[in-house]
Amino acid sequence: MTTLSLKKTTSAWIITILVLFIIAISFGITMRFNQGRDINLNPDTFYSIMTVHGVTMIGIWSCAGMMAVNYLLSRYVKTSVKLNVFAYAFTVVGVLMIWASTLIGKFHAGWTFLYPLPFRVAWAKWGTPLFLWGLTLLAVVWLVWAIGMVAQILRNYSLSESLAFQHLSRTKTPAKETPPFILISFVSLIGIIICLVTAAILMALLFAEYYSNGGFVNDPLLVKNLTYFFGHTIANEALYLGLATLYEIMPEVSGRPKFKTTWYVALGWQLSLFFILTAFFHHLYMDFVQPISFQIIGQMASYLASIPSAVVTVLSVIFLVFGNKIKWNIVNGLFFLGVTGWIIGGIGALIDATISNNIVLHNTLWVPAHFHTYNAMGNVLFSLAFFFWVGNEFVDSKDYSKFNKLLLALLIIGGFGFVIMFYIGGANSIPRRYSVYPKELNLGDILATLGGAFASVYLLAILWIFIDLMKKCIKVFSSAR
Amino acid sequence: MDIYRFNEKMYKSIFICTIVLLSNYISFAQESNYNYDEEKDIYKVISNVTIETEQGNQKLSTIYETSPTILVLIYTRCYGICNPLISNLSEQIQQLDIKKDFRVLVVSFDAADRLSDMERYAQQFDLQNDARWIFVTTKQIKPLIESVNFNPKWDSTIQQFDHNALLVGLNTNGYITKKIIGIRGSNELQAMLKEINNEFIVSYPLPRKNMLFSCFTYNPTTGKSELSIGLLVMLAPALITFIIVLSLIKLGKKQRKTLVK
Amino acid sequence: MKVQLFVLILFFSSASVIALIAYYVFRSSQPTTTNKESVKDPIKKRGIFLFIWFFILAVIFSVTLPKSPYYIFTDETPNQVVYVAARQFFFMLANEPIEPNVPKMEKIEVPVNKTVEFRVTSFDVNHGFAIYNERSELVTQTQAMPGYVNKLRWKFKEPGNYKIFCLEYCGAGHQLMQSSFVVK
Ligand code: HEM
Ligand SMILES: [Cu+2]
Ligand SMILES: [Cu+2]
Repeated sequence: MTTLSLKKTTSAWIITILVLFIIAISFGITMRFNQGRDINLNPDTFYSIMTVHGVTMIGIWSCAGMMAVNYLLSRYVKTSVKLNVFAYAFTVVGVLMIWASTLIGKFHAGWTFLYPLPFRVAWAKWGTPLFLWGLTLLAVVWLVWAIGMVAQILRNYSLSESLAFQHLSRTKTPAKETPPFILISFVSLIGIIICLVTAAILMALLFAEYYSNGGFVNDPLLVKNLTYFFGHTIANEALYLGLATLYEIMPEVSGRPKFKTTWYVALGWQLSLFFILTAFFHHLYMDFVQPISFQIIGQMASYLASIPSAVVTVLSVIFLVFGNKIKWNIVNGLFFLGVTGWIIGGIGALIDATISNNIVLHNTLWVPAHFHTYNAMGNVLFSLAFFFWVGNEFVDSKDYSKFNKLLLALLIIGGFGFVIMFYIGGANSIPRRYSVYPKELNLGDILATLGGAFASVYLLAILWIFIDLMKKCIKVFSSAR
Repeated sequence: MDIYRFNEKMYKSIFICTIVLLSNYISFAQESNYNYDEEKDIYKVISNVTIETEQGNQKLSTIYETSPTILVLIYTRCYGICNPLISNLSEQIQQLDIKKDFRVLVVSFDAADRLSDMERYAQQFDLQNDARWIFVTTKQIKPLIESVNFNPKWDSTIQQFDHNALLVGLNTNGYITKKIIGIRGSNELQAMLKEINNEFIVSYPLPRKNMLFSCFTYNPTTGKSELSIGLLVMLAPALITFIIVLSLIKLGKKQRKTLVK
Repeated sequence: MKVQLFVLILFFSSASVIALIAYYVFRSSQPTTTNKESVKDPIKKRGIFLFIWFFILAVIFSVTLPKSPYYIFTDETPNQVVYVAARQFFFMLANEPIEPNVPKMEKIEVPVNKTVEFRVTSFDVNHGFAIYNERSELVTQTQAMPGYVNKLRWKFKEPGNYKIFCLEYCGAGHQLMQSSFVVK
């Protein structure tokens, strides 16, 4: 049951997320134009902006996934609005702390804050603790939130039902069905809990060193493993949460029967939980100190991760759409486009997850190329689709607006144009995270300017969407009951 | 229900295991004696001097070309590190069950040592009949020790050389593939055995401050790093999540029960 | 063909195929197209598709894995060792081991078509050690991690002046870190 207060909280989330998104995109465009030498920022300003862009983007899209799941979960189990409001309030506090540390304190260790860089203070002294405490706050708050949601699921479904084990039998139809939404949310929330616990441990290790004045020293290799375990997992689980909403909403708005949990959907998602936890090893391919067996597991898990989540979902979507009369609208349109973008980005990821390619692609622009593809043209679109869908709930309408052709064109041209410049840059050995490119690599300059220009087109589309959505979101607050 | 008691027991045992493992690690955290000179002359060919053996004079290359060789530099009058070096090395070699073919060539860097002195020296360690060990002298001490960067200093007051304990690993082409300075653990020796057999070890740790949680302990037996307590830290999140979920299940059941009442 | 060009073409062609399939699927759902039928027997089709995909991945995996840097040039004795230590924001290259607190920078020349081993470490934060050829193409790389030495082996096929850039973000001077050596 969805209450008005749940709608209001969700609306607040959407407004906040979109505002932060627009600012973060502007930061992104600023970076691209600086790399193209169209503007001229100090390196430390550039890297502060880069840091805040990264954390903000990862943060808001994880929140978008969690709050969407929270909203839809109320269809199946009793959820707590208080918990939702709590998460919202402290997320805002955490974001403000991080913004202060980076934009005022000029903390610029990158969003991955790879040890020991945060401790080589080249910014305001308070920048490091404020950034780390801000992240710790976010990790703890989201951890509580995720645990709360898992608890709510477990009140109605047993552990094996939540994991849809009863669907594994191909012959028997189970007594109690687990909707795909519950299965995927559950698996993804478990993944999120694991990675947030990792974040907490990571923070504890960093604080131990920071506050012990050199009495406690960390192992850079261990910290690097933990860092990427956290970073890789949160980025991917955010996307999985977006997929959970896809499974729930897309058939509904297309006038098709709901997705059913079949044995392969069940098995696929159960396995994805497993692969997601070992695929992060691909971030350490160029660290030869890492045991070689881990490197091999990394490549294997990265490959296999594509089977359960990607292939199962893609085929589900294709079977949903193919040859059926679909009522196309902005909601399922964004989902469909998002799946396409996600798969294209996934191909880029698979190429980079191959060790023999990684040796020439690692930390080049190929990396932002692929993750921007499946974020800006994948996960973001899933969340926007949810926003449009829930926007109609706010105003009690089942009449979804059409996907405006011009808007579609702006999104596709802007979004793919933006990432293509990254791909070309990566294949031309242009490094990532350079505020400006050295003269030997000045091909990067023109690509950056073009990328910035395309991103501006993408920003136009987002502004359009923002204005559209605001009308509905603001209405919730004025409704009396 | 019993299952709850079982759960409780399990949590307890997990925690106890964790703590035991942690405390174990702390007590074994060790100092490293790495010396930067070990890196000198890597992949250079050793000076092919003539050595004097029981079978007469021969070139050094006739030794290392037949099998990879560990070269040890000692002198028999030494009161210092030479004896412990040899006894330690022979002990380690006996303890390690080594299938690889290799030899230990002990060369004196003291011009006063004769072949008979070396023979007596070998007997002292009961190594005179061990086919793996060869004790020799050479007339070309200077080119030999220079080519491996070994610089003993004669101290006339105590009538002893001031010198390091040095092991030089040679592959069958006479390349110096690894050096060990000082008496070190058998791990280092195993790394040397790998490298003189031309196996590639992709990385190694440098000396550093004690780290409580290090990810992997480097083990050259396998040429790989072994998992140490750091891995436990990496597994902890999954373990903790597991415990959280179990607790939630328990909580959910309790709440349902109270609802029924 | 160099790896980068190959993967770029591979990527663009797969992306185009995916886009075309997406468009085709989308078109089939339009009210105007009447002759399409929805998928029959989806479970079996799915099984076939999964099998093909798994097979492709397995083949790529077994072909590419042996080309990983941990396995190449391993059975050779390198002709030269180059020691590398990275710091914020410069590289030290030397023919002899470099100790912390004793800066050492030497002009490095390495032979062409012979195996060279770089022993790479860092004395402060994580850095990257990436070698670029005269055409500014990334040839090979490894990470420079404090406390550890990574051994990178390579055989340079062309003589020339090679550049080194830092490929792990290390602070505000990251983009300025560079060095070079000569292959003769
Ligand atoms: C069209 C909108 C966007 C623009 C223009 C943009 C631009 C950029 C640029 C220029 C960089 C630095 C690239 C470099 O390493 O040289 C960057 C990094 C990054 N972006 Fe975006 N981005 C956009 C959307 C997104 C989205 C939707 C996400 C979602 C997760 C995202 C997450 C990140 C992350 C995590 C980094 C890495 C930051 C770091 O290296 O510390 N970006 N972005
Ligand atoms: Cu650097
Ligand atoms: Cu750098």
